[in-house]
Amino acid sequence: MTHLLEIDKATRRFGGVVAVNGVTAHVDEGELVGLIGPNGAGKTTLFNLISGFTPLSSGTVRFAGHLVNGKRPNQVAHLGISRTFQNLRVFPNMSVFDNVSVGAVGTLPQGPFGALFGGAKRADEISERTWQALEAVGLTHVADELAANLPYGRRKYLEIARALAMRPRFLILDEPAAGLNDTETRELASFIKRLHGQGLTIMLVEHDMNLVMGICQRVLVLATGRKIADGTPDVIRKDPAVLEAYLGVDA
Amino acid sequence: MNASNTRQGWLVPALIGLLVFAVLPAGLAAFDRGYFYQVANVAMIFVLLSASMHLVTGVAGLLHLGHAAFYGVGAYTAALLATKAGLGFTWTLPLSGLVAALVAFLVALPTMRLVSIYFAVATLAIGQMLYLVMLNWVEFTKGPNGIIVSKGLELFGFSLSGRLATYYTVAAVVMLCVVAISRLSHSYYGNALRSIREDDQCADAMGVRTVRLKMEAFTLSAFFAGVAGSLWAHMTGYISPGDFKFSESILILAMVVVGGLGSLPGAVIGALLLILLPEGLRGMGDFRNIMVGMVMFLSILFLPKGLLGEVSALRLVRQQLGAAWRRTDNGIGIGWR
Amino acid sequence: MIDPYYLQQLAIGLSLGMTYALMAIGFTLIFGVLNVVNFAHGEIYTLGAFAGLVLITASAPPVAAVVFAALAIGALAGFSLERLAFKPFRRFTDEASLKSRAMRESTLLSSLAVSIVVREALEIVFGSEMRSVPFEYLINTPVRVGPVILVTGDFIIFGVSAAMLIGLQYLLTRTRIGLGIRAVSNNPLGAKYVGIDTDRTIIMTFVVGSMMGAAAGILVGLYYGAIFPAMGFVPGIKAFVAMVMGGLSSIPGAVICALILGVSESMATTFVSSGWSDMVAYGFLILTLIFFPNGLFGAGRERV
Repeated sequence: MTHLLEIDKATRRFGGVVAVNGVTAHVDEGELVGLIGPNGAGKTTLFNLISGFTPLSSGTVRFAGHLVNGKRPNQVAHLGISRTFQNLRVFPNMSVFDNVSVGAVGTLPQGPFGALFGGAKRADEISERTWQALEAVGLTHVADELAANLPYGRRKYLEIARALAMRPRFLILDEPAAGLNDTETRELASFIKRLHGQGLTIMLVEHDMNLVMGICQRVLVLATGRKIADGTPDVIRKDPAVLEAYLGVDA
Repeated sequence: MNASNTRQGWLVPALIGLLVFAVLPAGLAAFDRGYFYQVANVAMIFVLLSASMHLVTGVAGLLHLGHAAFYGVGAYTAALLATKAGLGFTWTLPLSGLVAALVAFLVALPTMRLVSIYFAVATLAIGQMLYLVMLNWVEFTKGPNGIIVSKGLELFGFSLSGRLATYYTVAAVVMLCVVAISRLSHSYYGNALRSIREDDQCADAMGVRTVRLKMEAFTLSAFFAGVAGSLWAHMTGYISPGDFKFSESILILAMVVVGGLGSLPGAVIGALLLILLPEGLRGMGDFRNIMVGMVMFLSILFLPKGLLGEVSALRLVRQQLGAAWRRTDNGIGIGWR
Repeated sequence: MIDPYYLQQLAIGLSLGMTYALMAIGFTLIFGVLNVVNFAHGEIYTLGAFAGLVLITASAPPVAAVVFAALAIGALAGFSLERLAFKPFRRFTDEASLKSRAMRESTLLSSLAVSIVVREALEIVFGSEMRSVPFEYLINTPVRVGPVILVTGDFIIFGVSAAMLIGLQYLLTRTRIGLGIRAVSNNPLGAKYVGIDTDRTIIMTFVVGSMMGAAAGILVGLYYGAIFPAMGFVPGIKAFVAMVMGGLSSIPGAVICALILGVSESMATTFVSSGWSDMVAYGFLILTLIFFPNGLFGAGRERV
């Protein structure tokens, strides 16, 4: 059976440090998978490997059968993977609408000749997609607001809207709940569940255990660059290796 | 809710058109002083240069310190084609643009992956190298003596070298180019370029082909600079390397910075300000450059968003030029058509 | 035995390279080590030269006083430059590094603007033609060293460069101030947190670097006997090239590359007319930027 995302002995070395060490894992279409692990376990590096942000030192990553190795991030995006960032990278000097439109124009491209001579058709397509993404996250009422002026919580949804405007097959969320309080986290959790319910395959990195265990169907656990567990939340909760990784490195 | 206010959509362009093609020429013809025509033409050419710089530095965020050199490539192309091949403006106009664009493309190929400050320095070096070629390749470019272009402006054999005709031609070409730049800047393509300026890694992750778009922005801006060069060559009748040295690149950069990085109306205003102000304060000749430096410095310090900043400019364009896709409940335009 | 003609050519190239190295040292300290984009260093160099010239024409003092004047003006200019064109943009030291690219571009533009104002002001005050230095002050009396002929200026410039180089290496690697400079360049916010007074460190670096730049200006002015407002522009670019070739943060590397540049340039002028000689520097710059991202010696660059 072919998986949507296949990671095979993926390794990433930075000089002497091995951030990701021979990780093998997969994600199937329609799954909602969580990725957890103590700090420094290599979770964000793994995300960067999947999204083409950093090259693999060895091993392979395949998405929908295509090799991700060596591809630039925009090529990976065109394969159907979109992502958010741990440290919230919105385009600060652009409006909310324009921010999200970049996600749409990246994958539904409009080139210079299209802008100069093309009719409104492509532009309208982009506009529609942008608006729909904004509706999905509930930010239509601040469409004209400058992204830099948005409060922290709203900016997270802006990033997600921008990723959704790419109409991805696979969405990866890098610590979406970071910095949110309990209420906000609960709202986010139900939002992610809703997205998943609409058929989107999602993978998320999180430190908030309640969020991950609450909504994910399956959880991958990394520690010091290796995968140490892979299973349903119930199984992971009781896995001795996982407990050791978390409690053992408790500082 | 898709309607853009069509009545407002054509009002401002119509007013601008009226000003440039009716009011101004009427005034010029009334005073009938060669000097005023000259100022008007020079101002228009620099509006085009500033607008082209807006595209590469304001929108795409590529700090370009050698723009005047591509202006020079266009001017020399026009001058050499006119004097050595006897071609008229009808030919030199597009060819100047294309040659400048080609040179820019070749320059951009190896340098586009350089990080911002180093890319800026690379453009400075390229600009200087091109300037040195203009100055020293005497057999080809006549070096510091420059080239006299005796052919005035013309179109398909129709001579347009009279003062008023020259003005109209320059104005028409510049307006056409500015409209084109506007359509590039005020579109989703423009948004893609802006995203590269804001965070090019992130834009890449969103599917924007960053390296390709940077090259496009750089090449397109050089095309328009080349066109400006051919206008200059035919209009003034004499070009020399000094017209295209580093200080001219900085002048153009100052126009964009003072007007507002990312704002096309701002770039136009910046150009008009930095050309007309020294002319208005006559006897300023020597002081022009120092004034440019001071204005640029004060503007960076006190008005970092420029005279007409990007946010205001985009809102203005959406409101007044009907470029928005639709309006929000507050009546503000969003998106591009 | 090497043909004395080639030795002489080499000597000429090395002399030229030393004049570039003199400027590259101060430049690299500010740009490469402190990691501040400074486009106005060339004008500090010019100010140093003019300070000396003004003093010479005003009261004809001994050469040492002239150099001292240049150093003093350099220190003052460096201080003013930092306060005017750089400090105002450090308001955002608490913001995320997202700001840093915009800030570096702002300081590039602001220092560029200041450099233009200074240069044009000098042109207005002194006129744009070359001023010649009175004969007594020139340091180009020929000296025979074996098969080649050098001039007194070569020794002076060499001595001064060596002193600056050694002094800086000591300062940067053996003193607390030097550690502070390297800390601030690496991580300004972190440096603040550990108690380093970043403002003072930056000011001091500017002052030292600018004094060196001004010294370079007056010495080169006395060496060639010509001083003019635009004299700092091209040497500034060449100092930049030497710095990038040397791996950006290495002052000895910049010096070596300045020498390479000087020798290459003088060799080039044996083949083409001198108008083209600047092409060597620009060519080296482009080649280094593209093909040697870590400088010629792999000392590392990518810090922006």
